[in-house]
Amino acid sequence: MDAVEYFEVECPEAQGGENYKRIMNVVLLDHNLIRVIRKIDVFINPEIPLFVAVGATGKIPSMVRVRDFANVNVQENKVTLAIADETYLAPLLKILWEKYGGDKVEQPDRFTVIIYTQNADMHEIEELPVKDPSESIYKDIIYALRCIAPEGFRVRREVFKDGKFYFAASEDTLPENIGTLIADRFRKIGEAMP
Amino acid sequence: MILIPVTYKGGIYRHDEVTDLIEDLGGYIVQKHVLAQEVVLQCFVPQDDVELIQEVSRPLMGEVTPSPLVGTEIAVVSMSLEIHHLPHPSCDIAEYVRRLGAKSNMVGLARGPGKRIATLNDEERDVINEHDVALFLLGNFETCIKKKFPVLRRGINVPIILVGGPDRETLETIIDPPVDGYVGNTGRFMHRTKESEEIAKLDEIVAEITRVLEKRRLEIAKDPLSVSPARLMDLIREKVPDILDVTSPTPLTVQMAGLRVKLPYDTYAADIRDLEIEDGVLVNDVARVLPSRMRDYILVRIKPFSETNIVV
Repeated sequence: MDAVEYFEVECPEAQGGENYKRIMNVVLLDHNLIRVIRKIDVFINPEIPLFVAVGATGKIPSMVRVRDFANVNVQENKVTLAIADETYLAPLLKILWEKYGGDKVEQPDRFTVIIYTQNADMHEIEELPVKDPSESIYKDIIYALRCIAPEGFRVRREVFKDGKFYFAASEDTLPENIGTLIADRFRKIGEAMP
Repeated sequence: MILIPVTYKGGIYRHDEVTDLIEDLGGYIVQKHVLAQEVVLQCFVPQDDVELIQEVSRPLMGEVTPSPLVGTEIAVVSMSLEIHHLPHPSCDIAEYVRRLGAKSNMVGLARGPGKRIATLNDEERDVINEHDVALFLLGNFETCIKKKFPVLRRGINVPIILVGGPDRETLETIIDPPVDGYVGNTGRFMHRTKESEEIAKLDEIVAEITRVLEKRRLEIAKDPLSVSPARLMDLIREKVPDILDVTSPTPLTVQMAGLRVKLPYDTYAADIRDLEIEDGVLVNDVARVLPSRMRDYILVRIKPFSETNIVV
């Protein structure tokens, strides 16, 4: 939790607010977002009804490369990759098929990939970018906020821009002054509205 | 003879001696689970013979514990089957009461979520009314519960237990007319119930269900049923062998004043009505055999003594 600078829930019902703080903590932890989010402020008013979350992201995990999860062993006419973590295996295979051709890439078992190629450059393969986590971070944050927001709040407005995001949801049409309300919340956490 | 619900837990070795004993004493086995080397029997046994069963099961390392939820069917009503409520807390609660012997069914409402937009349709209402008690799991906000609960309870005539985020006193003040039971401080949460205080909360829910069911049992005792549901279960199991081929976990679900038979209504209802219980008394004389709103099952509702003047 130390990575989060600002983590508040404001709600006219004290006990409900406390419960939502707990839900927020659990959901962000479960989705591995607690390290990504720097500031988050939530305002819930069941009377209106309205749920507004505003926040800013911190350091987004860097590009995942082959060296991060595999051991590269270059031989004369083939390269053997020993996979340590299967998480990124599927996107890796896709990239390898495209680069070397499907018939040149073989996978004898779950943790081994063999590429049949002449004079491969070990460094080049190790530095091959596989997945950019920042691409999906927007989707992940919005999905997590949808889990946190009370169910039935189906009218939504969500924005993610320049490392800042906001998410407003209600059961009815969003109130007309929603813009100023969101700007107020951003002011409260000391950030400019995107 | 007063039958009381108990759970027997013991090894699989020589457990048939215990089952034989229970049957010989006039008890009924409602459910039998065999888990590897262990056997769990949920049964009704004569009150006076509990000690005898304990004595017989002692050398077999068996354990007999009273479990008031055996022989009841509970509806756990969740506002939806979305990630917001599943698997915690809906499944946690449903599973916990199941472990203590009740048959719990989860009812996910089609249009349950929301404050203004929440509704209950006729099928949901009828399905809930087929249970012994309905456990409504609501959210964290007092305002929402106050607004939506009157809509959700419309037409429900089984006892209701309200579980929600605000504390018990608050729930009692905002619900009018009052419902049968309340459990506070258990609204929507997204983590597994494994800490001791959370387990204590689940125990509180069970205690509340038990209290409500006891009240209902007392009501039934004032005008007893014409036949015990467990006896009817035994009869159907004996006379309608097709029930043995049904693969659901409880093909015959015993309720407090009835029985759910998981066979198609159109094919089997007539056969069940004509079953003879004893001395020419047919099932049709002491019970209503109705189509259930749950799939195409049969629901048997047993008539009270005041209606039939028969007790078998």
